[in-house]
Amino acid sequence: MPNILKKLIWLTVVVFGVLAVATIALHRGEQINAMWLVVAAFCCYALGYRFYSAFISAKVLALDPNRATPAERLDNGRDFVPTNKWVVFGHHFAAIAGPGPLVGPVLAAQFGYLPGTLWILAGSVLGGCVQDFVILLFSVRRDGKSMTEMARDEIGRVGGFVAYVAVISIIVILLCACALIVVNALKSSPWGVFTIAMTIPIAVLMGLYIRRLRPGRVLESSILGFVLVLIAIWGGQWVSQTPSVAAWFTYSATTLALVIIIYGFAASALPVWLLLAPRDYLSTFVKLGTIGMLALGIVVARPTLHMPALTRFIDGTGPVFAGTIFPFAFITIACGAISGFHSLISSGTTPKLIRREHETRMVGYGAMMAESLVAIMATIAACVLQPGTYFAINSPAGVVGQSPEAAAATISNWGFFVTAADMHSLAQLVGEQTLFNRTGGAPVFAVGMANIFSHSLGGQAVMAIWYHFAIMFEALFILTVLDAGTRVGRFMIQDALGHIWKPLGRTSWYPSILGTSALIVAAWGFFLWQGVKDPLGGINSLWPLFGISNQLLAIVALCVATTIIIKMGKTRYVAVTLLPLVWLVAVTFTASWQKIFSDDPRLGFLSHARQLEISGSGTDLARRIFNDRLDAAVAGLLVILVAVILAESLREWTRVLSGRKEAHVKEAPFVATRFATEEQA
Amino acid sequence: MTRRWESLRFASAISGLSHASRRIVSLFVAALREVFDESAYSRYLQRNSLTPSRRSYAEFLGENEQAKARRPRCC
Repeated sequence: MPNILKKLIWLTVVVFGVLAVATIALHRGEQINAMWLVVAAFCCYALGYRFYSAFISAKVLALDPNRATPAERLDNGRDFVPTNKWVVFGHHFAAIAGPGPLVGPVLAAQFGYLPGTLWILAGSVLGGCVQDFVILLFSVRRDGKSMTEMARDEIGRVGGFVAYVAVISIIVILLCACALIVVNALKSSPWGVFTIAMTIPIAVLMGLYIRRLRPGRVLESSILGFVLVLIAIWGGQWVSQTPSVAAWFTYSATTLALVIIIYGFAASALPVWLLLAPRDYLSTFVKLGTIGMLALGIVVARPTLHMPALTRFIDGTGPVFAGTIFPFAFITIACGAISGFHSLISSGTTPKLIRREHETRMVGYGAMMAESLVAIMATIAACVLQPGTYFAINSPAGVVGQSPEAAAATISNWGFFVTAADMHSLAQLVGEQTLFNRTGGAPVFAVGMANIFSHSLGGQAVMAIWYHFAIMFEALFILTVLDAGTRVGRFMIQDALGHIWKPLGRTSWYPSILGTSALIVAAWGFFLWQGVKDPLGGINSLWPLFGISNQLLAIVALCVATTIIIKMGKTRYVAVTLLPLVWLVAVTFTASWQKIFSDDPRLGFLSHARQLEISGSGTDLARRIFNDRLDAAVAGLLVILVAVILAESLREWTRVLSGRKEAHVKEAPFVATRFATEEQA
Repeated sequence: MTRRWESLRFASAISGLSHASRRIVSLFVAALREVFDESAYSRYLQRNSLTPSRRSYAEFLGENEQAKARRPRCC
């Protein structure tokens, strides 16, 4: 293509991008079409990938197309396998895409569509994509080492320890926040409970099918499982409309929490092939299909955003979660913008599949862009709803009032008009008894998604089917995270305990399996129970803690990356990772500080405990005060971990830059790739 | 002559398009097979010179159980 034509094309992308971002940012008082968000996203990603990631590849990382990757050098046909870049891209995206980019943007929509959208775009292009890309490349250059190993090698033993604690805490907090979302989505919903309950026998059936009937035919069994899930959704409608049967599947939040805790324990202790693996396959199948469908639905329906660009709740008085736009918008949306958890995937299976070094750019940077697009779609799904409806679904009863009329009056007084009758009609339309106080983000996302889908296909007549499809999709996603996370946490505890007493580290010794499973389930189960009992909705406390722990892991990853860049002698380009690091430190410190010490009882754990001490009542008062203090202690521990990893990294950087320590990177030695000559031939 | 040249160009464009779409579909299927561990099973069979069977699949699952169970699923 002639050079001038290329320049013209990129100039057009810049013009469209600027126009779209300006439209999103500057429109006030009138509704805009969701396509502006899509156009802005595509232009930002295109420019970020074409120019910024190319700059990082060439100048900072100096990607070498002649250097053999561990997949080539250590090829064993098992863990290390040179794989086509598109295949690795799909594999990596399937691993990083979870419920986070769906839930976070939905919760953050209480500030309006603008803050979340801008953070998702800027955060991913300048932070999240960069983190995933550099960690993937550094792992590739270190024979596929994990993030915790790289932290230990490059920053020191303290860095490795902090990374370990960060991973454990993020797993525990993530699991309880996820479980709470499922509980809130399924409470008093016989249709939802039936559908989700059916996914357990379906997964077991798939496991038996793959192992006994048609060994290894995973895709085939996933399609079969998907068809069975669709039948379960359809059957759920009959269940909900048959009062005698519906009663079997109607549960309160506390009962559901207990069921999920028992389920988590069983999933951790059962053989992988029976439940975990088939559910993982089914979830991946549904996930990839639904994300594609949602993208198509948005383009076909081109819905209008009813949520204003900014709401009155940027001052921190929001009902969904307490806290001002800074830092809480940036804590609430983690996975769609920058997620520390991704660094575990980028230094896990993916580096062992990369065929050529330069492909890390497409896989690392590119897959995170796709994840960010999912977050944009979630923002759209939440913001196409009338703001009154959004707040009626997403606000806890403790804030807006117990009865539908009281809740509708409170929300209407905020300037977001809604009536109890409107909400009742909507609940009937989606086949639920009520949609008031369904906090956690999942029901809002499901209503928004059903809205978009029903406009594209089937109209309002199938709204209920789409709603329960969306609930099933999210719950399946989340329960997969719960299964896998509980098991990963169990292994991590077993690894640690194995240093104390060897048999405890044996992953095949049943007493150890049961004991460590109970330990990890008790950890997240405790916080889940606390969240379910919290009159403010639980997610108000748990999601910010999850965001803080996730960003802590991102801080560890960016500290590792910055240290390596300095040791590579590329200090002049250190801003590439240092700027997102500084931003995240500011966000994490501020959020943790406010969560612990804020005078506002809705925000600060300690002030809430003090308020309960002075004016609280009820039989569980002492437990609630203890819970607040425990949450404060957890937030405090996270801040201390941030401070420790930063201090260790700063010490390492100072020693290297002052010449007191040799700038030595612990990379695998250079070996020329045979793929380069093969391609030339 | 011009008409023949145009029909040749048309045929070549169609062939190119069909080649490209075949390649996209095969890449898509390959990605799905990798995501769903079917490729890993094929590699296992090849590495150990085995044929697909219940027993070989059970052995494959046994070998991969630890790796599969330790693989985190992102939030």
